[in-house]
Amino acid sequence: MSGWMTVCRRLYRRTAHTFPDEFRAVCGDGLEQLGEDVVPLVWQQQGALGILRLFADLAMRLPYEYLSTWISKIRELTMTNDIFEGTWTATGEDAQWDVPGNSKPQQACVRFEATDTGYLMVAYGIVDGKAVAERPQAISTDGRRRPLVDLNGRPIPGVPAGAVAFGSHSDSLTLEIGAEADGRVLSAATYKVSADGKTLTATNHGVGPKGPYKNVWVFTRVVPDPYVPQG
Amino acid sequence: MYICEYRYCVMPKKNPDAFLPLRSNWFHILLCLVEGEQHGYGIMQNVLARSDGKVRLWPATLYGSLKRLIEAGLIVESGDRPAPEFDDARRRYYKLTTLGRRVLDLESQRLKDLVRALEARRRQEART
Repeated sequence: MSGWMTVCRRLYRRTAHTFPDEFRAVCGDGLEQLGEDVVPLVWQQQGALGILRLFADLAMRLPYEYLSTWISKIRELTMTNDIFEGTWTATGEDAQWDVPGNSKPQQACVRFEATDTGYLMVAYGIVDGKAVAERPQAISTDGRRRPLVDLNGRPIPGVPAGAVAFGSHSDSLTLEIGAEADGRVLSAATYKVSADGKTLTATNHGVGPKGPYKNVWVFTRVVPDPYVPQG
Repeated sequence: MYICEYRYCVMPKKNPDAFLPLRSNWFHILLCLVEGEQHGYGIMQNVLARSDGKVRLWPATLYGSLKRLIEAGLIVESGDRPAPEFDDARRRYYKLTTLGRRVLDLESQRLKDLVRALEARRRQEART
């Protein structure tokens, strides 16, 4: 019977190995291993019928996983490109800068990635010759006010208690985000993409730790996007 | 740096209620993981034992569910390994996330409420 077991185990491993790469990327070779491990157990407990059910489970799941993978790929292909998505860069020379206590960056970059609920925004640049980066921001664009927390949902030191943030599209080319506490505006920003999609004008104002601030940046889209693998 | 107005962010959280009612397979898997990290074989055996042999998660069904639970953010693969004498280096371990635990709590409460409603109805019927 051990020869029969070996054949079943090998067959299971080979069939499990044909699952889509996307499935295997998440589950590794766990399915192959588990199948191999349970073949003798199932044979012992349920005999030939059990082995049949073991393979039936595999045979039914295989087309389902391929279908699920194809649906994801089709969704990805048909996804419309968001006009904000991508990497934008600007030099400090043309920027309007009125931020007490903070040096004007020589260079600034901002990157938007579309998410299910809005954007993930990352900003970084060069200030006083040193590379600096801001805290990544998850922006929801449904206009609802949500507590100000970090990406892990934890409170941020220095944020006033009860502070909330919000974001919305006032039109397809304009994104408005802001934060407030006790009805007092902490910050407000408008991001406007030009009609040709090549430039992004960011206007920021609010009240920082050292008083009111305001700045205006005109970013240029980086093409090709350095964060997207080329070729 | 003030390039982008603000250094705070808003974390859009997944609503745990959106997962309810929880699929039966998902419920069994999450239930196993309450006790701690577990690998695929362990989950399969645990579900079988817990259900007195009535529920068997066959390997492909189990791993299909694990994949979807990971994608939904209810479980994650654990980087921690048990002590070498208790470990099988081939296996991947899974554990509950905070969201997964919350969803399991809500589903348990939902089931409790259903049972309570059913019992109340039976008591009412018995009286009449």
